[in-house]
Amino acid sequence: MKKLKFEYRMELKFSSPVNSHYFALRCVPGDSLRQRITLTERSVAPADYISVLRDGFGNLKISGSCLENHDTFGYRVAGTAVTEGMIIQKSPLHPMYRYPSKYTQFGPSVIEFARCAEEECRSSGAETVMEKSVCIMNYLHSHFEYIPGVTDIGTTAEEALRLGRGVCQDYAHIMTAVLRFLGIPARYVNGMMIGEGYTHAWTEVYTDGGWYGFDPTNNLHIDGYYIKLAHGRDFEDCVVDKGIFRGNACQQQDICVNVEEIGDDRNSSIDGTAGR
Amino acid sequence: MGAISVEKMDHLFWLGRYTDRVYTTVRLFFQIYDNMIEQPEGIYEKYCERLNIPNIYTSNGQFVRSYLFDAQNPDSVLSNMERAYGNAVVLREELSSSTFSYVQLALNTMESCSRTTAPLLELQQVIDYLLAFWGCADDYVEEDCRNILKCGKYVERLDLCIRFSFHIRDIGKEYRKLVNRLRRTNLCYNEENLKRLGEIINEGTDQVTDYQEALRCLEGLFR
Amino acid sequence: MKELIEHTDRINRLLARYGVKFGIYRNGEFHEQLFPFDAIPRVISHEDFQHLEKGLIQRVDALNLFLNDIYGEKNIVRDGVIPEKFVFLSSGYLPQCEGIRPPKKIYSHISGIDLVLGKDGKWYILEDNLRIPSGASYPLIAREICRRASPATFSSNAVVDNRNYAELLRETMDWVSTGGIPVIMTPGRYNAAYFEHSYLAEKTGSELATCSELSVENNYLYYRDYRGGKQKVGVIYRRISDEYLDPMTFLPESLIGIPNLMDVYRSGNVAIVNAPGNGVADDKGIYYFVPKMIRYYLGQEPVLKNAPTYLPFYEEDRRYVLENLKKLVIKDVAEAGGYGVVFGNELSGERLAEMKERIEKEPRRFIAQEVIDFQDMDIIEDGKRVPRKADLRAFVLSGEKTKVWASGLTRFSRNADSFVVNSSQGGGFKDTWVLSR
Repeated sequence: MKKLKFEYRMELKFSSPVNSHYFALRCVPGDSLRQRITLTERSVAPADYISVLRDGFGNLKISGSCLENHDTFGYRVAGTAVTEGMIIQKSPLHPMYRYPSKYTQFGPSVIEFARCAEEECRSSGAETVMEKSVCIMNYLHSHFEYIPGVTDIGTTAEEALRLGRGVCQDYAHIMTAVLRFLGIPARYVNGMMIGEGYTHAWTEVYTDGGWYGFDPTNNLHIDGYYIKLAHGRDFEDCVVDKGIFRGNACQQQDICVNVEEIGDDRNSSIDGTAGR
Repeated sequence: MGAISVEKMDHLFWLGRYTDRVYTTVRLFFQIYDNMIEQPEGIYEKYCERLNIPNIYTSNGQFVRSYLFDAQNPDSVLSNMERAYGNAVVLREELSSSTFSYVQLALNTMESCSRTTAPLLELQQVIDYLLAFWGCADDYVEEDCRNILKCGKYVERLDLCIRFSFHIRDIGKEYRKLVNRLRRTNLCYNEENLKRLGEIINEGTDQVTDYQEALRCLEGLFR
Repeated sequence: MKELIEHTDRINRLLARYGVKFGIYRNGEFHEQLFPFDAIPRVISHEDFQHLEKGLIQRVDALNLFLNDIYGEKNIVRDGVIPEKFVFLSSGYLPQCEGIRPPKKIYSHISGIDLVLGKDGKWYILEDNLRIPSGASYPLIAREICRRASPATFSSNAVVDNRNYAELLRETMDWVSTGGIPVIMTPGRYNAAYFEHSYLAEKTGSELATCSELSVENNYLYYRDYRGGKQKVGVIYRRISDEYLDPMTFLPESLIGIPNLMDVYRSGNVAIVNAPGNGVADDKGIYYFVPKMIRYYLGQEPVLKNAPTYLPFYEEDRRYVLENLKKLVIKDVAEAGGYGVVFGNELSGERLAEMKERIEKEPRRFIAQEVIDFQDMDIIEDGKRVPRKADLRAFVLSGEKTKVWASGLTRFSRNADSFVVNSSQGGGFKDTWVLSR
């Protein structure tokens, strides 16, 4: 069990005022079997109203609007999380996580990659879902290069694989697509990781009646140093920050995520860099 | 029910304007057509100037065809009728199907008379349908909507009366109708321009002395 | 009735006067087209309608239970009655709607069920339309005019008055309303069914609105007035497809739609008619399973039959389909509106082989049906009676009770040899009479 202190700040600056601004945010971590959240702050400004709901995937979602002219927009979420790492979170499986989605289509590159990964599993003797997942994560980690700026938020697993390079979102999409192709239900996850940086993305696989997380970008099991925000079939289902507004403005976004460990029994702290 | 969105307000206003543009210009056109019998070529030049539309015409005959019925000519009566229809078709539940049907009929007739050799005989039917449209609107359209519709109508009517140097008596009459309607709506208008327009009309004895200024006031009414 | 038929042209002229049209895009350009009316009605006997009514209510009730189940507990999948692939791979299944309980638990408020009458005198269901079925306005206004054209026809025949459609619709809307004004939402005048949107708004006393006239404030939906006021919307009969409903939930690139509408809906602050996500139940693949649904949810035998249908997904059916392709109709599950329908007998050797290959490659994507030998209906063409293929779209309204409108849209094909009666592919319509005794 870990105890983490987290803060997630986002600020948007518009070069000229915008209005009729609607937003939908999945920036607040929710309680689950692996994390207990205590919020100390949850502010969105400027906002005419906010409403908090669970979306169709079970994620916490804040929606609202700011109809009047404004030239900044931002939110700040802070609190503590008590997390449990490397556990299977028991929950019934929704069948949709078995099938390809918009970003995880079974294109030729995905299929080829999956076949190679499968071969790798066979030769290394990986049999259970857990073993296979670890093997696939290893294989992906060593056959895909972490290079920011080559892909964008619209890049699919297939496209990223063809490029051979990308960021955490691409790793998570590829791993999700490959697992599904091999008959293992998987889902895409957004969240935060220990350290300072941006939000992070990873994959959860379904095994033994529950979900278990892997971080293919860092080749790690999801341990107590991760805080989950939302999940879905792929990126599009659980966009952390979505907004539309009227106005002809350039926008500059400033994001700051910070997660640090507090009051651990062994009184240790781990430094690391998130946001990969 | 009473709620009228900005979009609907706009459609109502422009439906009033375009139906009256068609109605009044067709009636004016009867005179011009008659004048053309004795007058030399090029009579349309002054007409275009007054309407402030480009003179793209090459002969009296071509003017008649194009100005009345050319769907490609944005200033043609047919184009204006189509715009009237475009505004009416999105207002069925405000107008009622019966009222709407007269705009549809006027458009259908306009389209079919472009194919005859004696268009003016048939255009009478367009005028009749537009009059029926207004009669029906009086009967079936709820007051808030009707006031906006009529504001559009009288703005257009005033515009054309001023452009074509109608007698000050007639202009004054249309002006009073407009003011009367305007006061009953919640439309945002420029009080100063309305006042100045009234003064210009009062100053005139026979005709509006400065018709350009009068038009500017009218145009500036909703800016 | 002879009198009525004599006046066909004049009736059509009146329909034109009232703008009874549908829109069609040709070469990327919008055209309004008249929907030709044929005065010979489809007549449904009192007994026949009672039978239809029973079957349609049963079917729509089962479909509504199915939708509640799919976006809720998913028992029908868990119990293996329907393979999950047919549900969760359907483009009509929207996970964004998971967990939403629509007001009064009604998903399909207005269902358009397409049927044909076989030569054996039996009705066969061709498809269910649970998203935004259109067409009720045409027989509605046609009846009004026919009664004017020939009162005698209606005094001598005991025809149930069908002009209560708007009332039924309004009742249905009011039943689910969360309090506030009723609105019919249209994508705009360049939509194929715009006439219907505006006519139903007039007849139901609803506000007709485009997306820009509606907005979400404080988690409620409002219709905005030009004077600065606003009215709360209690029910929105939207005539715009799911994916364009809310850019914050569905297609983000959509320029139409009402941002955050789905949250208002999820919070129970507005009713959406029909509910988003219904596409999962009127999918051509799911069609096959509707009789099973009726047995599963209602414990009843289906009153109305499906057209004999095969699912290449099942080994046995696939073998049959591949062997008998020539005599079957193949439908692409993903397509609608008369598109993606292929008649096996029209395929040349090469294209037949191609089709077989596609079926083998993507068996789930297709269904195959026996060509039903259905009864032709006479229409008047150039003063003569000639037979044409015709179908019937029955309208079922689900409010406090499930009711079948005692009429329907009878469409016929334009050409003698055409089987396709969809209005977007030419063709006309007839009034549908239900006899009261």
